[in-house]
Amino acid sequence: MGAPDAVAVAGCTDLMVVDTATGRRHGAVVDLQRLPELAGVRDDGGWIDIGAAVSFSQLRREALVAEHAPILVQAAATIGGWQIQNRATIGGNIANASPVGDSLPVLLALGAELVLASSSGERRVSYADFHRGYRETVLEPGGLIVRVRVPHALPDQFQGFKKVGTREAQAISKVVVALSARRVEVGGQEHLADVRLGAGAVAAMPIRLRRTEALLEGAPVGADTATRAAREARAEVNPIDDARSTARYRAHVLGRVVRRLVGDISA
Amino acid sequence: MASRDQHGIHPPFADADGKRRFGVIGKPLRKVDGIAKATGQAVYADDIQLPGMLHAKTLRSPHAHARIVRIDTSRAEALPGVHAVITGRSMPIPYGVIPWTPDENALAVDRVRFIGDEVAAVAAVDEDTANAALELIDVEYELLAVYLDPVEALENCTDAIHPNPKRPERGNLSKRVELDFGDVADGFERADVIVEDDYTFHGTTHTAIEPHCAVATYSPDKLLTLWSATQITHYVHRALARVLELPAHSIRVIQPCLGGAFGGKSDPFSLEFCVAKLAMITGRPVKMLWTREEVFYAHRGRHPMRLHYKTGATKDGKVTAVDAKILIDGGAYSSFGLVTTYYSGQLLTGPYDFPAYHYDSTRVFTNKPPCGPKRGHGSVQPRFAFEVQLDEVAEALAMDPIELRRANWQGEHTKTVNGQRITSNGFMQCLAEVERASRWKERRGKLPFGRGLGVAGSMYISGTNYPIYPNDMPQAGIQLKVDRSGLVMAFTGGNDIGQGSNTVVRTIVCEELGLEPDMVRVVAADTDLCPVDLGAYSSRVTFMVGNATIDAARKLRHQIAGAVAAEWEIDPGRIFMGSGQVFDLEDRAKCISSMEAFQIAEARCDTLGSTGAYNTPTLGGDYRGGTIGASPAYSFTAHAVEVQVDVETGRITVDNCWIAHDCGRALNPMLVAGQMEGSAYMGLAEAVLEHHDVNRFGLHAGPSLLDYRIPTSVDTPELHALIVESLDPEGPYGAKEAGEGPLHPSIPAISNAVFDAVGIRLRHLPFTPGKVLAALRERRAAETAVGSAKESV
Repeated sequence: MGAPDAVAVAGCTDLMVVDTATGRRHGAVVDLQRLPELAGVRDDGGWIDIGAAVSFSQLRREALVAEHAPILVQAAATIGGWQIQNRATIGGNIANASPVGDSLPVLLALGAELVLASSSGERRVSYADFHRGYRETVLEPGGLIVRVRVPHALPDQFQGFKKVGTREAQAISKVVVALSARRVEVGGQEHLADVRLGAGAVAAMPIRLRRTEALLEGAPVGADTATRAAREARAEVNPIDDARSTARYRAHVLGRVVRRLVGDISA
Repeated sequence: MASRDQHGIHPPFADADGKRRFGVIGKPLRKVDGIAKATGQAVYADDIQLPGMLHAKTLRSPHAHARIVRIDTSRAEALPGVHAVITGRSMPIPYGVIPWTPDENALAVDRVRFIGDEVAAVAAVDEDTANAALELIDVEYELLAVYLDPVEALENCTDAIHPNPKRPERGNLSKRVELDFGDVADGFERADVIVEDDYTFHGTTHTAIEPHCAVATYSPDKLLTLWSATQITHYVHRALARVLELPAHSIRVIQPCLGGAFGGKSDPFSLEFCVAKLAMITGRPVKMLWTREEVFYAHRGRHPMRLHYKTGATKDGKVTAVDAKILIDGGAYSSFGLVTTYYSGQLLTGPYDFPAYHYDSTRVFTNKPPCGPKRGHGSVQPRFAFEVQLDEVAEALAMDPIELRRANWQGEHTKTVNGQRITSNGFMQCLAEVERASRWKERRGKLPFGRGLGVAGSMYISGTNYPIYPNDMPQAGIQLKVDRSGLVMAFTGGNDIGQGSNTVVRTIVCEELGLEPDMVRVVAADTDLCPVDLGAYSSRVTFMVGNATIDAARKLRHQIAGAVAAEWEIDPGRIFMGSGQVFDLEDRAKCISSMEAFQIAEARCDTLGSTGAYNTPTLGGDYRGGTIGASPAYSFTAHAVEVQVDVETGRITVDNCWIAHDCGRALNPMLVAGQMEGSAYMGLAEAVLEHHDVNRFGLHAGPSLLDYRIPTSVDTPELHALIVESLDPEGPYGAKEAGEGPLHPSIPAISNAVFDAVGIRLRHLPFTPGKVLAALRERRAAETAVGSAKESV
């Protein structure tokens, strides 16, 4: 990785397409797929610890992931088609830092953290602090994502995920949203706590909808809360027009999806 | 001319009890190439590898409209591994698939007309070297005014895309057709209700899974051989002779296995001329395989159209007059545009009776990838607009949309207002089939909000009697060769593009000569070996090649049956041929194999073989353009579709599509059902997903299968193929087309179903979620306005 313009790759599902289309060349291409440090899913005292080179197909099969992060399994199943899922990795999805990466809002909602490594050693960062702007991250040049850590699910934790694409499979998202919240009973009524709401394709990077989270925090579960959250979510984003959709449609659908996800909590 | 004889709708033999039964016709026989394709053994153009073969790539214009000032290829030629570089000057003779509009060059001579237009080509030892050489070609451009909007192109033309010094006033006009039939003014006068509206059909393309590919060799004795992924070998052959200035007899064109075409491989293409020229220059075999991106630039897809329709009807739903004004966005070249412009008006006059009809269609050049023929050429767009309008007429009259269509049926063996001869017509049965299968009467208008049913109808040609270039020779020719081994070889110029035409040929030979399928092999689409056929377009192959095959096979049958009858000293009427055997109907003990019969016939008549041909009878209206769209038989289709509209996301989901199609007779019901399902699938894709367009600079908006979306298997609804057989008097055993007609109604049927589901009229394609939401908002606003108006009263 010391070579100038070296690039680390795993499944190459994005890089090869972009390179072929643009004629971009690299000083060196370093394949990480077989590194044992980046492999496997294990239980690590309150966290599931996922190797950065674990493919989405593997994620779909892992019992630990299904138990603690069912929405990550759901998201993995919506990425590309089977062939893409066999090659594409979770670390690659994160490093590629696309605003429409399908697993990224899920990692935001689950409160994931990353283990990053470079020649100066290893460090842990909260995934919420990883993206800095459009395809810009805190990863230093020559740095690698080694592990992705997701906390164990709590018994009262709700998880929800929804992707609105342009078709049922092999589609880039128009809007992708993931929600995690605890249901806490106060005075015979369920209220929301520890709310995390991740969204993709509505900003230059995957973001948490902080204002909507604040509105939901402590709010009673129910249709009224869902409607208010939808309004807040629409107001707090500023998406763009592109070949796949329009800003107006994205904001509108984001609201509808948030309402449906929050509404699902009481279902 | 024998080829004009009609063969009737019956099988060739009566059985011992006098009944006529088919042997293989009507059976779901496997395709001749099914196993080879399924196992990967089929050879496509890109599978061809020849010793010393070079690879060629194309330099394309980065500008939408520019004059080429200068091209310098010297740096590219100097790159090690490069064998030849060619530009427009190497092949300056223009061509065009329609001989009246030769406005294309193999490579741009002095002007580029869209982003992606071909400028130069390089042959090198491999693709990487060829690509590197392209970057070393220096082109100086002088930019010209760019026209992306057809109205703008027509009204404000300063730099005509195809300058016409003799008629500069034409500007960017490509073709205009205005025709008037019956008394339109009187028709509207008589109408109790008139509906008038604008409709938009967007651009879509073919997305055949195999990209275009061509390989050429040039032998020392000056024979040029071209293998190409084309659907019309004969026109490529003619165009090569013209552009390369070679005698046609020194050119051989072969179509290998083809991975889909849908009209997108009908024109002669730049790469075919380039590999040929490069092979002639280098003396080496040369291959060019286009990338998916390049296929999007080559395009020739469905023309975007802006359509205005006005329809009048009486209280009982009878159409009194139709008036249409259509603006067609042609893109950068003519391609089949002359025919497209006629088809946009000519093919609407069925299955309904129009007492009066006027249309005014204008095709305009723009600086975009050239449009051309796509499945249902020129008639899918007007059909969409008109079938939605018919639904609006039904709404205005509070009539059931199926009943309205029944009320207007034109009948069988009749003539349309524009002079087209209609023979068999199974449209009423098509309507009955979809009405029954969709449980229309119980469910239409009664499903919960968000779910709905829609219907639409259509007709299409089974080939046309307009042969692209005027000539009196047969439109389809075939040759049969009989071998002592018991094998019959069929040589057909017909192009099997996956639709199964070789299977149809084999089936007919088996039927006529009483053979098993493995006793017949088909050699197709090789100009050295096969008689001319005009190729796979206009849904002509089953009808025309089928009739030619019957013609050739019956000649052979007379010869063989005659020889065996003479050998047995019986009347030839007693000879029966079936299941690979020949026997005496009155003495079953007299039974020999087909092989023995062939040998008896060869001994008595000399080497066995026959030819067959088909040409259309004289058809069409007696006016300029009256033969365009004139077909020996028309197919008819009705669709019912069931949709769900998600009012939150605006997405339309098609759950069911019932496709009833009158194909005359299903020679192979499995192939017919495949064509019906594939057509409906393609229509659905155009309605809700596909959009072929450019951005404000003229750059293609998404030249990849990720951004140009076609439905995946999980997006595809349940498709129910309901075959209707009307037995056409002139079709082979009564058959008509099935490859293009069944696409037409799917798009308007979806729009009409959305109206039933949520009460909005979608008149502008594609039906994106954003448009659906906007229409729902408008409807709600209108209702609220009405509501508050009522309240204030």
